[in-house]
Amino acid sequence: MNRSRIPEVLTVAELVHHGPLAKATLLAAVPLDAQVRFVRLISDLEQTRQCRPHTALVMHNPAAHGGWALESALRAAWERNAACVISPADTTVTPSTIALAERLKVPLFTVRTDPAEHALELAAAIASPGAGRAQLAARCATSISEQTSLRGIVGVINDELPGSAVALVGEDGAVLAGRAAAVGGQVSIAVPSVEGKPWARLVARVPVSSASAEETVTTILRLARASLAACAARPHLALARRGAQERLLLAALLSGQQDAETEIAAREHGWRFDQTTVAVVVRATARAAGVDPDVATAGMLASWFEVFGDQPLVPHGDGWATWWTSPDLTALQVQSILGSRLTKVTCALPLCAGVGEPATSPDGWRRSFREAGLAASVAAQSGAGAVEAFDALGPRVVLAVLSQRELLSAAETALHSLLSTADGDVLVQTLCAMLDCGGSTSQAATRLGVHRNTVSGRLERIRARGVEFDDPDYRLALHVAAFVLLGHRTAESPG
Amino acid sequence: MTTLTSLKADDLPALLAGADLFASGASRDDLDGMRYWLSALLTERDPIRLVTPDELAPNALCASVCFVGSITALAELPMTGDEPHRVLQALENRLGAKLDAVVALDVASLNALMPVAAAALHGLPLVDCDGMGRVFPLIYQTSYELAGLPLAPLAAVGPTGDTFVLDTTSSERAERVLRATLNHSGGWMLTAMYPTTAAQLATAAIPGSISRAVTVGRALIDATDTDDLTSRLQASTGSRVLGIGRVVELEQRTRRATSGYPAYPSSIVVRTHSDPVRSIRLEAQNELLLALVDGAVTAAVPDIICLLDPNDGRVTGVESVTVGSEVLVLAIPPAPVWRTPQGLAMVGPRSFGFELRHPNEELRP
Repeated sequence: MNRSRIPEVLTVAELVHHGPLAKATLLAAVPLDAQVRFVRLISDLEQTRQCRPHTALVMHNPAAHGGWALESALRAAWERNAACVISPADTTVTPSTIALAERLKVPLFTVRTDPAEHALELAAAIASPGAGRAQLAARCATSISEQTSLRGIVGVINDELPGSAVALVGEDGAVLAGRAAAVGGQVSIAVPSVEGKPWARLVARVPVSSASAEETVTTILRLARASLAACAARPHLALARRGAQERLLLAALLSGQQDAETEIAAREHGWRFDQTTVAVVVRATARAAGVDPDVATAGMLASWFEVFGDQPLVPHGDGWATWWTSPDLTALQVQSILGSRLTKVTCALPLCAGVGEPATSPDGWRRSFREAGLAASVAAQSGAGAVEAFDALGPRVVLAVLSQRELLSAAETALHSLLSTADGDVLVQTLCAMLDCGGSTSQAATRLGVHRNTVSGRLERIRARGVEFDDPDYRLALHVAAFVLLGHRTAESPG
Repeated sequence: MTTLTSLKADDLPALLAGADLFASGASRDDLDGMRYWLSALLTERDPIRLVTPDELAPNALCASVCFVGSITALAELPMTGDEPHRVLQALENRLGAKLDAVVALDVASLNALMPVAAAALHGLPLVDCDGMGRVFPLIYQTSYELAGLPLAPLAAVGPTGDTFVLDTTSSERAERVLRATLNHSGGWMLTAMYPTTAAQLATAAIPGSISRAVTVGRALIDATDTDDLTSRLQASTGSRVLGIGRVVELEQRTRRATSGYPAYPSSIVVRTHSDPVRSIRLEAQNELLLALVDGAVTAAVPDIICLLDPNDGRVTGVESVTVGSEVLVLAIPPAPVWRTPQGLAMVGPRSFGFELRHPNEELRP
């Protein structure tokens, strides 16, 4: 036989949540988990002595014209395990009567409507408990479907379940929406993301812990799961779609062959290039795990907008492009902004950035983007949070665009005789400094912060290992090899 | 209980203290003037002879004396002193016969003193019985009525010097007419009613009322502490303590006034000092009528519910109770006649508008 999991008897709590008692005022803070099986309209107090257990006693005016009558009814209700006592609102209810109800743990309500009418409503509700629950579920489903935000959906549930506290809690325990009081409540159901992965939980604290009340609340929470998951996914989907559109638009603008339609579309996106523009390219560092920028774009955009507000960010090459536009803007200003805030952008990738030179014309800002890309390549060698300006890099940027992996391999082979010694790193550093300074040992000593004789000694050791740095045929190659090795060692060193 | 044979001036303090207890909350603390007057009266005359109905000739004519109306009005328009004599004369004139003895309608508060004054001034013995065994608000709520004795003819004199004699076959009508007359007679009247023979009294009256009031009064005066007092009262009246506590709520007009009754309803809520704490709700309308302990009917009219000050043992009237007052709530069983179905029908909770049964009715099959 197919049985409903929900007991076919309503509790006082359910009648309060979604039954006729929702209109009543609860005067005594007592448990409401008693089942209500019968209703009795009391016009003579003697009738309270004949009531059966689980009866809701509705006091009619003649029987409720004083605190004594209510207290007598409360006592009779307690002795006979009645469910609750309901009195007309015009009955004098004093604090001592409320205290007695609390001591006897008998729920005491007052109603403004006619007691006889209220008794009929109660009788109808307890006669078909499933109808009340179904009505509540239907009302909730309609209300939830009209909401477009997490807060809206959880708010609807909280409104529909008076007395209960409901919250949406993330996997990390943070409350995403609803009332914090719900955390740790009796009811908890998982809310997976649209991909079916664990995302959050809907939790509810039901004031009166009863199986049927919890079952009803669970039903309502289940109704909300799909809407919540869809709501949560909507921003990610929107961001991913927006990223794809803007990528095409920026590519068209950078091609130099944009038409009027492209420019209109750019303006619609709020992109401006009529003032001084400084281009920036943000990308993952060289040592970051290989993540497809397309996959990372939605998360990256969500975090970027949290840190930089409306500052545009468009997928571009191996990373993302952005730009600052303002009169009299300098690359240093942009570098400063990025330096202080780039690390606050939290996504799965360690980020770095390159800043181009200021530009005031379409040709200029296309150049600025190229410069920013080159500077970003250098920054990628330095690690997370690095921000390099093209202006400061100069021609070194040429080396940055070469294949770092192949260059490094060649350099390690060419300078193997130096690297194989205990002071190999010091010798490579000294060699690079001497070549940087055009062969001047005194300038190299100043740059390295050591005595000139120390530099001379090291150069002798370098020569002794067969590295002919004086030979013009080898000088450029040796300089490049030392430069690449030093960059690699710097990026690897801790801190 | 000691049965007295006479009443002297020395007995008056005990009589009045006992009468306060049987007032069931309607006691007054402004009766000193009456007590001094009556004390002087008894001092200058011979002690009043206190007799049982059996000691009188069976056809000896007796009448009940009763003060009706407001004691506050009595303070404003005091007695001249001849009213007890005049009211008995008026009844004798109406009956065409001399009275042989005076009876109390009830022995509570001032009504314990008035029959004594009437007996003293008229030179008659006082019969040791009454018609209520406590006090009820209506003049026909008596054991005489239950026995079928006629209330009228009724004689009444008031502070304006009027003498009023009423003939009616309906006791209820006598009550109504008397109440209406009060409004035009200065707010109080001294009455003589229920003319009966001693033989009728022997079966219809509640015996030993005067002696009992004096005995209880002496217990109240002589008790050394609360425990001593309650044990003495328990021995003499079968009383039980419902609780000792502090008054936490005091409300006026908390329920609909019962039609035909003087005064307005009020409620007193006492939170006991016991563990666990109990809530005692007392419903009053002049007298204390109902006591609910945690909502359970523990005592109800005709039980005599009264309040004592646990610190000095004095009877506390409903009118002098304030929020914060310390009180001992006591219930005294009524005269057996009131526990009968006829008695409860006349003065049970339902007759005062309480839609519930007296606790003793529960025991009935």
